[in-house]
Amino acid sequence: MSDNVWRAWARRATMAPGAVYALILLSLIFSLFTAQFLTLPNLANVGMQAAVLVIVALGMTLIILSEGIDLSLGPVLGLAGVILALCVKQQMPLALAILLAILVGAAFGALNGVLVAHLGLPPFVVTLGTFGMAQGLALVLTEGASIPGLGPGIQYFNDGLIAGLPVPIVMTAITFLVIYVILYHTKFGTYVFALGGNQEALGLAGVPVRLYKTGVYVLGGALAGVGALVMTGRMNAAHPTVGVGLEFDAIASVLLGGTSFERGKGWLAGTLIGVAAVSVLRNGLNLIGLSTSWQVSMVGTVIILAIVVDALRGI
Amino acid sequence: MGDDFVLQFEGISKQFPGVKALEDVSFDLRRGEVHMLVGENGAGKSTLIKILAGAHRHDAGRIVINGQPAEIQNPAQALARGVSVIYQEFNLVPFLSVAQNIFLGREPRHPKIPGLIDHARMNAESRALLESLGVDIDPRTMVHYLGVAQQQMVEVVKALSVNAQIVVMDEPTSALTTREIEQLFAAIRRLTARGVGVIYISHRLEEVFQIGDRVTVLRDGKWIASMNVRDATMDVIIQAMVGRTIDRLFHRDFMTDKGQVALAVRNLHRHGVLQDINMTVRCGEIVGLAGLVGAGRTELARVIFGADPYDAGEVTIFGRTLRGSPVECVAIGVGFLPEDRKREGLALILPLRENVVMASLRRLFPSGIIRRAKERGVVSDFVKSLDIATPSINRMTKFLSGGTQQKVVLAKWLCTQSRFLIFDEPTRGIDVGAKAEIHQLMNELVKQGAAILMISSELPEALNMSDRIYVMHKGRITKELSREEATQEAILRHAMGVTI
Repeated sequence: MSDNVWRAWARRATMAPGAVYALILLSLIFSLFTAQFLTLPNLANVGMQAAVLVIVALGMTLIILSEGIDLSLGPVLGLAGVILALCVKQQMPLALAILLAILVGAAFGALNGVLVAHLGLPPFVVTLGTFGMAQGLALVLTEGASIPGLGPGIQYFNDGLIAGLPVPIVMTAITFLVIYVILYHTKFGTYVFALGGNQEALGLAGVPVRLYKTGVYVLGGALAGVGALVMTGRMNAAHPTVGVGLEFDAIASVLLGGTSFERGKGWLAGTLIGVAAVSVLRNGLNLIGLSTSWQVSMVGTVIILAIVVDALRGI
Repeated sequence: MGDDFVLQFEGISKQFPGVKALEDVSFDLRRGEVHMLVGENGAGKSTLIKILAGAHRHDAGRIVINGQPAEIQNPAQALARGVSVIYQEFNLVPFLSVAQNIFLGREPRHPKIPGLIDHARMNAESRALLESLGVDIDPRTMVHYLGVAQQQMVEVVKALSVNAQIVVMDEPTSALTTREIEQLFAAIRRLTARGVGVIYISHRLEEVFQIGDRVTVLRDGKWIASMNVRDATMDVIIQAMVGRTIDRLFHRDFMTDKGQVALAVRNLHRHGVLQDINMTVRCGEIVGLAGLVGAGRTELARVIFGADPYDAGEVTIFGRTLRGSPVECVAIGVGFLPEDRKREGLALILPLRENVVMASLRRLFPSGIIRRAKERGVVSDFVKSLDIATPSINRMTKFLSGGTQQKVVLAKWLCTQSRFLIFDEPTRGIDVGAKAEIHQLMNELVKQGAAILMISSELPEALNMSDRIYVMHKGRITKELSREEATQEAILRHAMGVTI
């Protein structure tokens, strides 16, 4: 009996995605090599910094599950932050500014979705194009400069507490729960798996495939808008290029978390682990004193390692 | 009497660019009957079904369902009319549960929380449906983890769950074992007992007599005949399908003096897959390899061809002991015609021409530069000698019929001057006429001194085409049967591991 239980756990352990091992291994290494890593303030800092990435990566998970990809999410987040800041500077009501920022994200998602779903264009190419559009638009609107000093309303998204917990953490948790329910308990979520798993079956079941496919990108874009709130709050400023590279970390987290580009295979919780692995890696390398450029290279290396290990294990 | 029909096709025609796919086809389906739809590839069966399913629109004629003319313009309308189609390629989503697949597109709403789906109800109803067909599958299992037969059952249940009155099955047994086929037939009988009309497309004519009530034959897009199965004979159906009499289905010229040893396998072992395999194949003979699905036949063929590794033993081909790589095998004249032609035998998006010369480029063009004129000559010769039915040697292979594709794979290996050919299920999914042609080609090849190892799950084929038959069971060769000893019973007994 207990033997069976052990075997079940052992099997579960061997089925876990590479991210789990990466996370454990990285945590061990950083705990050994730096004194600060395993301290409460540092870990809290990792959590706060990971908030934006979680929110973006959740949207990315759905997009990748549907056999798509969205390279534009990083710059779209940057642009949404710029819109937010400009609206605040215009003395617009905060709620309206927030709404507009999220709408900008959703609008870019809709553009991506329509081009991918209705015109049948490859998502890589489409979102590479919108990557440039969002990036350029953010630079034009700000003339390349930061928009600082946005005030307490915006800072609340970093400093505020809800039930004793920092707002970014609460927002991340709520986003995860909402996306979890959507993915596993609604038609929309079911069709996300079907889009990646067997799009033809979905069409033959009488489901408007294009509509749902577009919806996946809209949701991803809107989440980038939500991420922009937290990001802007953290800096109390908007910077046009702040999101660039975030799409890279998000895709990395999703893949590390065991979600595949093919056949609608993946799970949402895996993405959380993936984000944790990427965030710990970046934090640890910071503590060691490695430059950002090296960090990007290390994240890339870890992705490839984790995927190689998964491939060798036949997962 | 008119009420009896659940579905009537009346003068259906469909034109594709350059092809008349269907021409004035009429036939009907009674409530509670299994209506077999047979015909060679390209006869128009699939097109007719796609029209019924709303995937294509017909140009002329009408469809009458339950006495009412039915406009079916898309899959949703077909479903609404009670039409459910089980396609050859499964329409299941791998990483959704069985229940989610059954209810795809029709998810029940959660009773309390708006916007959510009711998993509990979906699972319960799926369980009831599965049980009603006598299928033992947990509806919460992800489809990805089911075997092919179980997936097929899920498809049947899915068709049933929409309260279908018309269920269409397109070659449902092509991937099933004998016992699984029994299960499927039992499920079909339960469907018809409820008054569901079933249209059943098949290439296995035995099935017409096993499960069919009536049979309709299409040929070249035209209706040829409809008859009651109990009035029909195999010969009559085949004649209607091919439009001519095939006098000898399996023609073999057996030769008394065999040539040199082409293949000798000694004590071959692959951990967990193959155990202690010993066999020989000589030039001038066809050696059958029989056994149930999963007995290790394809695995053995792949090891011989060098596509998979082995742990112990020896494979000698034409006197050369191999180290095990397809490159080496091809170089000494071995050709492998895989079961899955589309995936492993052909590059579907390339023209016929390139598929034929693909494995012989080094021999034909030692300089490394492909000379089109020479290529055209070589390929045209094969098209002529193998009687490959294609409008042009530049035709993309995916547009060719199954039998023609198999001939292209054969041409590819003849082009490499192969003298030892491994055929894995040479005629699976190929229509009757083309089947006879493939068999004839195999006969010609061994007459000219080639050696053939043939894996076949079709007992008539194995019995009639082989000089000798090795029977496999659980990775071992359990028996070598001579032509005289080989009977259906003998093969089945050894294939199931009965030793007495």
